[in-house]
Amino acid sequence: MLELKDLHFSIEEEDEQGQQVVTEIIKGIDFTFEKGKFYAITGPNGGGKTTLSKLIMGINPVTSGKIIFEGKDITDLSITDRAKMGIAYGFQHPARFKGMTFRDLLAIAAGTNDKETLVRILARVGICTIEFLDKEVGSKLSGGEIKKIELATIIALNPKLAIFDEPDTGIDLWTIGPMVELLKKQQEEHGTTTIVVSHNEKFLEAADELILIRGGKIAHVGGFEESLPLLKDDEFCSWKSICEGGTLCSIQ
Amino acid sequence: MLDTIDKELLKAVADLESIPKGAYNIRKNGKLLAREVTANIDIVTNEENNGIEIHIKPGTVNESVHIPVILSQADLYDVVYNKFVIGEGSDVVIVAGCGIHCGTDKPEGHAGVHEFFVGKNARVRYVEKHYATGPGTGKRTLSPTTRVFLEEGAVAEMELTQLGGVDQAMRVNEATLGPGSSLIISEKVMTDGDQKAESKNIIVLDGTDSSAELISRSVIKGNSRQNFYATLEARAKCYGHLECDAIVMDNGTNETVPALKSLHPEAELTHEAAIGKIANDQLLKLMSMGMTYDEAVNKIIQGFLK
Repeated sequence: MLELKDLHFSIEEEDEQGQQVVTEIIKGIDFTFEKGKFYAITGPNGGGKTTLSKLIMGINPVTSGKIIFEGKDITDLSITDRAKMGIAYGFQHPARFKGMTFRDLLAIAAGTNDKETLVRILARVGICTIEFLDKEVGSKLSGGEIKKIELATIIALNPKLAIFDEPDTGIDLWTIGPMVELLKKQQEEHGTTTIVVSHNEKFLEAADELILIRGGKIAHVGGFEESLPLLKDDEFCSWKSICEGGTLCSIQ
Repeated sequence: MLDTIDKELLKAVADLESIPKGAYNIRKNGKLLAREVTANIDIVTNEENNGIEIHIKPGTVNESVHIPVILSQADLYDVVYNKFVIGEGSDVVIVAGCGIHCGTDKPEGHAGVHEFFVGKNARVRYVEKHYATGPGTGKRTLSPTTRVFLEEGAVAEMELTQLGGVDQAMRVNEATLGPGSSLIISEKVMTDGDQKAESKNIIVLDGTDSSAELISRSVIKGNSRQNFYATLEARAKCYGHLECDAIVMDNGTNETVPALKSLHPEAELTHEAAIGKIANDQLLKLMSMGMTYDEAVNKIIQGFLK
């Protein structure tokens, strides 16, 4: 349902001498995502996981290569057009809006103001109070609350392809287990093709297929069990150490 | 009695489809158009004959007063002095506002001084909207001054909004707070084209345990300019917070100067101020839910000024 064909992404930046240099972040990725499957993208920090997911949503423009979604070339389509085709993206650090309530945001995603519909979505993400709908999606929300809201908007969109960038970041009240279950349920009930960028073991275990990205390339594709030795390899950086707050591979 | 233009202006500034229920005073082109008083709310023309006095009896609850001003006469600059005396323990809503319809190249404008004396433990919600429209090119100016005096335990919530079309606005808000009183001012201003708007605020926290919050939201489009100055002065143990946010679009410019003055060791004063474009992450979020760029911008502005 989604094909990435020789995907490259480069940025131009200034080096220490003030010279413009081109840095390649994604260095030729070919992959086909199958309809209805659950994928986890993992790998060391700075390896290109988030960049790749942003290329699929159209947040970053592709430098070269093609993205084919349901047989249609979407490489040059805008974020809006891709969203309308059924691609949704859950941000690692969701936007906060002054003056906009959760209800406003959810109504955009659900395409309706109907209270019953919105309440049903709330229940699915484990929010049991209707009052939560009138909370401002502003700076006062906790990290866990804003992630729940982000998740709810994706559920409300009911997309064909759901991409989640580090959905477990900032989660406090919400445990990761139920979140994984929820995404699996979406996959099973709605046939949602799901891509989760994560270091978290629970997401990696839940995935039908793991994609390890390192140095802007796919280093490995496989199931959880067979990938485990690689995940533990220092070369791929310990996802455990990152998950627990570490950032440097060499600490291990 | 009300023509189409009057109705449009009243709808914009006071959410009124027709003559309101309860007490009201409608001023059109510098003259009294209609007035109604109730058993608890009296409205009289002041001695100087340049404004009105509104007296709300102590203990009056769940009543409202509408006092819109509408202008549609070229070359008129209308100035009013209005005084509100809100009796002890009452709880009322006052809706004011000025709508200007400019049909010629002659200027039209309105200046008003509104003084509020809010009695002990009384609550007042004051809603003021400003709006200008019409095909004429005459300069539309508005210069409202609001002075608030809160007695012990009084609460005032003030929503001040400038909806658009005003070429030049010079607003002054002043307040003095007694013990245990509380003031919330929320000001929302949108400018476009070559419009200019300035807001000067001085809030004096004079009484022990008084609290004040001033929230300003500005949207500055085109080549317009908005300046915002606010001073919180604490003379007692009190709490005060200033929050000024400006979204700048196109070539808009802004100067925001929040000032905190503490004259008491137990005063707690805070402020936050931000000027910038619409945050990119907000646009990306809304576009990733299927909105176009323009739809996303409108939605964000709408929420910001809500």
